[in-house]
Amino acid sequence: MHIPDGFLATPVWATLDAAALPATGLIVRRAQREFEEARIPLLGVMGAFVFAAQMINFPVGIGTSGHLVGGALLAFTLGPAAASVVMAAILTIQALVFQDGGILALGPNVVNMAIAGVMAGYLPFYLWGGGRWRKLSIFAGGTLSVLVSAILALAELLISGVKMPGAVLGVSLALFVVSGLLEGGITLAVIQALESIQPGFIRKPAAGRSFALGAVSVGAVLLAAVGVLFASAAPDGIERLGRETGIAAHARTLLATPLSGYQVTFLHSTFLHSSWAGKAGAGLAGLALIYIACLAIGRAVARHRSV
Amino acid sequence: MHHVVLERWSRGRSIIHRRDPRAKLATLLVFLVVLATAHHNLVWLSLALLAFLSAAVIAAGLPLAGVLARAGIVLPFSAVFAAVSWLAGDPGRAVALLLKSYLSALAVLVAVSTTPLPALIRGLEMTGAPRFLLMVAQFLYRYLFVISEEAQHMTKAAASRGATARSLAGSRSRFRAAAGALAVLFARSYGRAEDIHRAMLARGFEGSFRTLGALDFRGSDACFAALASLLLILTRVAIERAG
Repeated sequence: MHIPDGFLATPVWATLDAAALPATGLIVRRAQREFEEARIPLLGVMGAFVFAAQMINFPVGIGTSGHLVGGALLAFTLGPAAASVVMAAILTIQALVFQDGGILALGPNVVNMAIAGVMAGYLPFYLWGGGRWRKLSIFAGGTLSVLVSAILALAELLISGVKMPGAVLGVSLALFVVSGLLEGGITLAVIQALESIQPGFIRKPAAGRSFALGAVSVGAVLLAAVGVLFASAAPDGIERLGRETGIAAHARTLLATPLSGYQVTFLHSTFLHSSWAGKAGAGLAGLALIYIACLAIGRAVARHRSV
Repeated sequence: MHHVVLERWSRGRSIIHRRDPRAKLATLLVFLVVLATAHHNLVWLSLALLAFLSAAVIAAGLPLAGVLARAGIVLPFSAVFAAVSWLAGDPGRAVALLLKSYLSALAVLVAVSTTPLPALIRGLEMTGAPRFLLMVAQFLYRYLFVISEEAQHMTKAAASRGATARSLAGSRSRFRAAAGALAVLFARSYGRAEDIHRAMLARGFEGSFRTLGALDFRGSDACFAALASLLLILTRVAIERAG
């Protein structure tokens, strides 16, 4: 789902563009470390392959057909960083040459499909790709990659104020699930066919990760995606939930100090007078805090396990 | 095919074609931001911006009707969301979605069809976008035609062997056949990329493209970018004041 220009509210595209720039730089640096510079032709040609792959139709039941999206397949063969770079290059060419997706919306599209989609698609394979659950992990990776990017795109549209009746929302969610499952099926079938031609193409993840840890992280990705969707569909829902259950009274005192009501007060008073800038800043600051907390917990868990 | 027409259009010699790609990129960004952040009097602003783009198309010597029709590619997608917004009781947003997405696509199309893609990507490179990503994008564009042709040959070959005849094979086996075709295409593309890489190394490739003839940003380019941006901003301010 390529978002064209003119669909997203200014704070949404501006924030996501600002987030996409350093993220892309980071991923490019990582891909460069894995693939020495001289292998650029490989990434370019594989991008062209993803374009061409859309010409090959897969029959789906009653007279309809679908095609490969490709993020997960690239991640399983080239690695997640290189796959993100290839997807970002595809999105750039689509926006410039084919008017498929906007230029200002390139940041949101890159975040949805090239970054979040590829990462979510690689996660199950990274966790279980080496063990007994290999086939299932490939299928789940394809499904998750499409599902996560579609849900993010929908959430961005909803945050921007595009109204959708509940029925339409339900139908589009069902369509996302179907196209996600289809992508999973196609990815699995292509990977199996590739393995029978030349097994060296598919990356080998480290075997023997704990099932519980994996289940928790995949569950977290799904929960986050669904949570983002519901939060954007009904922004007041979470606050109401808090009020009704009485969590609010406790939560307020805990959370109000740094980010009261999603507004960075000390910034707000000085130079960010428009309310959206304050909200976007508060949102980003919140994300950064959560990220740092996750990183710290991850480090602590890793140290604990290695001892 | 879409991009073949773009290639032909972008090789012109008009006053717009001769501007430095960076000047056009800067003007394009100003245009997109002016349009994306507008809320009041959108219909009048859209008409003014449409006149601006049409003037650029005529100055570039491109067929106006052809360009306008080609930008309509975005309309089916926007129309779906416009219809949904309309049903949800927000007709203003429905109109805004259609106008904004169409005009943005038209602006990008005008910029791309007056600048050859390699020049455009070199312009982007000098604005600080990651060079590695842009080189990948350039390779992608170069081999798009080659790999697509290969995919077309494969689908034709499969069809001539009866792959589309529903009575001959079940849905399941056709699915597996398509997966096999994709796997073969993947392996061939991979092999081709390695051949290209070796051929490039043999010709002394050391990690970056060398270009003949540098881009130069002249006074006329600066004037073009400044005047066009000023015109866009003043138009928007004037229309919002009037409303």
